[in-house]
Amino acid sequence: MSILLQALLNGVMNGALIAVPAIGFTAIFAVLRYPNFAIAAYATIGAFAAWWVNVHFGAGILPALLVAFAIAGCIGVGAEETALKQLRGAGALTVAIGSIALNTVLENVVRLFFGNDLRGYDLPLVPDWRFMGLRVGPQQLQSLAFAVVIMAAVFAFLRYTRFGKAMRAVADNSDLARLKGIEPAHVAVMTIFLGAGLAGVGGVLIGLDASIDPLLGFRVLLTVFAAAVLGGLGSIPGAVVGALAIGIAEECALLVAPASYRSAVGFAAILLVLTVRPRGFFGERAN
Amino acid sequence: MSLLLAKDVVAGYGAAEQILKGASIHVEAGEIVTVIGPNGAGKSTLLKVIAGLVPAREGSILLDDEDVTRFGAVDRTRTGISFVPQERNVFGNLTIAENLEISAYRDGGEASRRIEELYERYPMLAGKRRDLARTLSGGQRQILAMAMGLMTAPKLLLLDEPTAGLSPRAADELFDAIVALNRGGLPILMVEQHAVEALAISARGYVLVSGKESAEGPGPQLAADPEIRRLFLGG
Repeated sequence: MSILLQALLNGVMNGALIAVPAIGFTAIFAVLRYPNFAIAAYATIGAFAAWWVNVHFGAGILPALLVAFAIAGCIGVGAEETALKQLRGAGALTVAIGSIALNTVLENVVRLFFGNDLRGYDLPLVPDWRFMGLRVGPQQLQSLAFAVVIMAAVFAFLRYTRFGKAMRAVADNSDLARLKGIEPAHVAVMTIFLGAGLAGVGGVLIGLDASIDPLLGFRVLLTVFAAAVLGGLGSIPGAVVGALAIGIAEECALLVAPASYRSAVGFAAILLVLTVRPRGFFGERAN
Repeated sequence: MSLLLAKDVVAGYGAAEQILKGASIHVEAGEIVTVIGPNGAGKSTLLKVIAGLVPAREGSILLDDEDVTRFGAVDRTRTGISFVPQERNVFGNLTIAENLEISAYRDGGEASRRIEELYERYPMLAGKRRDLARTLSGGQRQILAMAMGLMTAPKLLLLDEPTAGLSPRAADELFDAIVALNRGGLPILMVEQHAVEALAISARGYVLVSGKESAEGPGPQLAADPEIRRLFLGG
């Protein structure tokens, strides 16, 4: 029983970390209507930006997260404006393929500057806490708390701010948004900044749990994508629910299968959702 | 000086497709003007060109003597043109209150006061302010769409087939709402499939055929014209 509870606990922890970049991924999809796989590179860039200020300037995790958000967001906007924006006219599939190429380019730029070595954040080593037969690390709990606060902040931004509402309006109907005086191109830039920034923050949270290297984002890309598809592409609450579901499913899969099969859960989830409920938990029916 | 003057407008969607072929209409202050015509005549396209959603290839659009022809949809709203499309005219995933609020995106300071005025005018919206717009019935949705169009305090309201898909009773209520708005001084240019009812409440009407106006006159007079009745009004 405690093994199952431990798996559930780990699943929630991992799911919450995946939810942050998954929100970024699905927000970009909601407004720009294409899947931006370069989100993996933004996660890696965020993780390395935070590592740089943490190790070289002694920044704590909170300022490091803010730096990761800003750097990943700015690089996301720059990459979008210089590379992907030109492809939009050719359709969503072309931009999606372009984003895979962009991801590889950015990943190799990180490799050029930082090499392939594994790196860890400069954090105090604290033993895990144990209670009722369950084990949890204080660092994991801190990351979970950051993830929850970030998700709450995103929800509050979208629900209560003028710009957040404009983002939702453009995601809902960009032509009507134009008629209401909202410029979808401006909203798109801000959405890319937010989405890439969240991916960067997600990269840090994932890196805090272990270590970072140039493939950090690529390794979680499938899980992030599966979470967004499961929740319904374009749905932010869906991305959170999808990430938690994938996180728990991956951890539970470890109870019955070797760890090497863990990534199969993401593929299985995508296949299952596309077969049974193509619009995911919260996605809208395709017209 | 007309409030709106659309002159010799040529427009279409594809590179070769020409839907409007030199259409000219005008709207004076305080008028309701209705455009009728057969399917494919370019009625909705004319409204979209005036709203800035479809660019005019030739001709000009003047609002209050200001040439707005080259303005896109975002800037047309700033000049005082408010367009209510026929379909997908509300943000389904936003609440009624959010729909109204976001409709005054460029004029946020006035939003709260206007929303309260609209809640007084349309109490149904006040009662459902926290509901998602997609949960509204067809008639309720059209009222919301019209209210959203009013949030910018427009000089001219464009309505594209506002009663399409509504029950006769809901359509009558909507026509009443349109007349009430106009009595408050708001000029309205609309395209409407219920042509008899629309012309009856209009100061003037146009018949658009093959992308160009073929007749113009006082609304009731057009509605009574035997030839127009035979061709476009089913009688």
